[in-house]
Amino acid sequence: MFQSVNDVISGFGAQKYICNKNVATVVYLGTSLQKPILVEGPAGVGKTELGKVLADALGMQLIRLQCYEGLDEAKALYEWEYAKQLLYTQILKEKISDILQGSQTLQEAVDCIANQDGVFFSDRFLLPRPLLRALLSERPCVLLIDEIDKSDAEFEAFLLEVLSDFQISVPEIGTLKARHIPLVILTSNNSREMSDALKRRCLHLYIDFPDSEREMEIIKLKVPNVGARLAEEVVRLLQRLRKLDLKKIPSISETLDWVRALTLLNVKQLDQELVEETLSTLVKYEADIRKAHHELKAYLAEKQAQRGVPGSSDKDHLH
Amino acid sequence: MEDRLIEFASVLRRNGIRVSLAENMDAFRALELVGIADPALFRHTLRSTLVKRASDVKPFEELFDYFFLGIGQALDAIDRRIMEELGLSPEQFQQMLDQLQRLVTQMEGELSQLTRALLNNNRGEIERLLRDALQQEMEQSMPDGFRYTPYTRMAARLQLDRVQSEIERFKGMLQMLGENGEDLQNVLRYLDERMRDLNRLLREVIQQEQRKRGLDPKDSSQRAALADKSFAYYTEDDIRQMNEAVARLAQRLKNRLSVRRKKAARGRFDIKKTLRANLQYGGVPFHIRLDRRKKTKPQVMVLCDISDSVLNASRFMLQFVYSIQDLYSKVRSFVFVAELGEVTQLFEANDIQTAVEAALKGDVVDVFSHSNFGRAFEQFYKNFFSAVNGKTTVLIIGDGRNNYNRPNDWVLREIQQKAKQLIWLNPESRMTWGIGDSEMPRYVPYCHIAEECRSINQLYKIVDLIVP
Repeated sequence: MFQSVNDVISGFGAQKYICNKNVATVVYLGTSLQKPILVEGPAGVGKTELGKVLADALGMQLIRLQCYEGLDEAKALYEWEYAKQLLYTQILKEKISDILQGSQTLQEAVDCIANQDGVFFSDRFLLPRPLLRALLSERPCVLLIDEIDKSDAEFEAFLLEVLSDFQISVPEIGTLKARHIPLVILTSNNSREMSDALKRRCLHLYIDFPDSEREMEIIKLKVPNVGARLAEEVVRLLQRLRKLDLKKIPSISETLDWVRALTLLNVKQLDQELVEETLSTLVKYEADIRKAHHELKAYLAEKQAQRGVPGSSDKDHLH
Repeated sequence: MEDRLIEFASVLRRNGIRVSLAENMDAFRALELVGIADPALFRHTLRSTLVKRASDVKPFEELFDYFFLGIGQALDAIDRRIMEELGLSPEQFQQMLDQLQRLVTQMEGELSQLTRALLNNNRGEIERLLRDALQQEMEQSMPDGFRYTPYTRMAARLQLDRVQSEIERFKGMLQMLGENGEDLQNVLRYLDERMRDLNRLLREVIQQEQRKRGLDPKDSSQRAALADKSFAYYTEDDIRQMNEAVARLAQRLKNRLSVRRKKAARGRFDIKKTLRANLQYGGVPFHIRLDRRKKTKPQVMVLCDISDSVLNASRFMLQFVYSIQDLYSKVRSFVFVAELGEVTQLFEANDIQTAVEAALKGDVVDVFSHSNFGRAFEQFYKNFFSAVNGKTTVLIIGDGRNNYNRPNDWVLREIQQKAKQLIWLNPESRMTWGIGDSEMPRYVPYCHIAEECRSINQLYKIVDLIVP
């Protein structure tokens, strides 16, 4: 477990995840107080990544539950393996008739079977889904509940019991208590407001797009062979693009993709032709591309004006 | 510290951020863990434990600044300013303060608390005294609150006049003691400055406090009243709040839909499919198959009147329409005054504010003509009637005031016969339907549902009608 906030920062840093003090504080509190952390923020700022990195940093197993509309208990918690149960009954037919041999009436036969039904509703036939797996895990683990806002309101209500008591009741077996309280990370894209009851049980963390310095740091860490000049230009352009009114604002992961693409093409600095060709890795909607295009032109024009010389030498690297 | 935190939580609550007792306790437990020495850490801790909504983060930051940094920051600034004005280095300044302090201890007992704190430059003490006075002030709502300004009342509470006279006396004493020239002048000026700054500080603190209490008060009773207020009387401010309500309404529509779809997915036991699926197990039903009812994708066509007489109402209706279009895949939206124009594309391409404003501004149809329902209906029949089929819900929003033009109610009859349902929402009171140029009595017989829709509450009810 983490000893202090700085411990979190260095631990995450070792996993190549740059976090600011705010993120680190919340993670530290979450792990120390054993409270779930609800992470919100725009798409692609590293919410899911936070869960993964937390697991890696602590050397724990990561159990992930992806939420979607219509997700129910059977998919999230546990399911009886009907097929296996039926198969066992078929195979054990003889044994069952042995048991039934002594009985005279139907009533007695039913009682005989009833005495044995613990066999069929036991752990053996219980198929644990992510939530149950996290609770029953032998070693402490990180439970990542991804995109909780995509699930239905009913599932959210059901999750409340699990998150507050860390136990669940299976009618046929009884209550199963968590062996270790898992570290829970919930992520949400805010497509739906979470209920207050759920929020009350969680620590809240809002991750926003990084400022230019931090973004630079991230790029250098994730794409080590990027040129310093290119990184700087990309970050400056990105910060400008994010101010536009786009349908989907380019996120960190998209930035990284773009930088990787540019490094692969052996680009040292941005120019119009090149950026236009690769813009689709960054911006994903037709209307957005048009807007980004305008901004790009303005940016390049400014850049040229600053340098005061026409950029004829820019094309050199393209062959 | 505990008291301060609890007070802070109640300040947050007053400003519309919901903080529960459990969250407050979390904050305490978290602070036990991280301590309160590091300001940034303290701030992050409070934020993650007390604030659970991304939209509340900004108000929290502001309130945090007012609450925890307010007076302290102001005092810092004052110190710096005085130092500059007297042309002293921080060391010299400190020296002067030490000297003063020695004198003050000699005078023990004669001075009031505030004067002593002021002369000692004891920031914590000044802050505490100011805050205590404020607290008392806020707790006892004065009956003569209108006669005196908050400043006057606070000044009386802090006995500022006494402090003033004490300082004067102190100055007199200094002169009697006969300190040497320049130093004395400096000290005297310092004391004057201090007194003036105390006044200024007091004003600032009061202002902060008022902002703290008054900053966007989200009064629940006020909002409830708004839900019943007729669209026609909305002010700009109401409109802004109503946008939120419409967003919630759309959310509610969505939630209802998701529940309905889920129920539909459960379905009934399907013998044929089950047998077929389990042939490989010799007919033993390993896999149960249910017959899933088909998801019916509702097709909606909305006609919204945007003439001047219903301007405020149509603004919300258009937002409502926009939300509907967001929700269902097959929605076609039209607006009309005298001419009918389609806005489906416009709504798809733009965000809600721009789209609605563009539609109202007259980008699509001329908004300055007189409304003519008959003509709009006729155009709808001519151009779009072929798109209506048995699954279509046609939603008409308007007051039915036709300016004595031809009503063309036969169009509605055609629609009624062909469409799944025809719904009319009227922003006018039902009492006035049929009075003057209102053609409602003519139109209503062809509608499956015709409802008055004057307020957000009525709209809620209608949503329940449309999405059973």
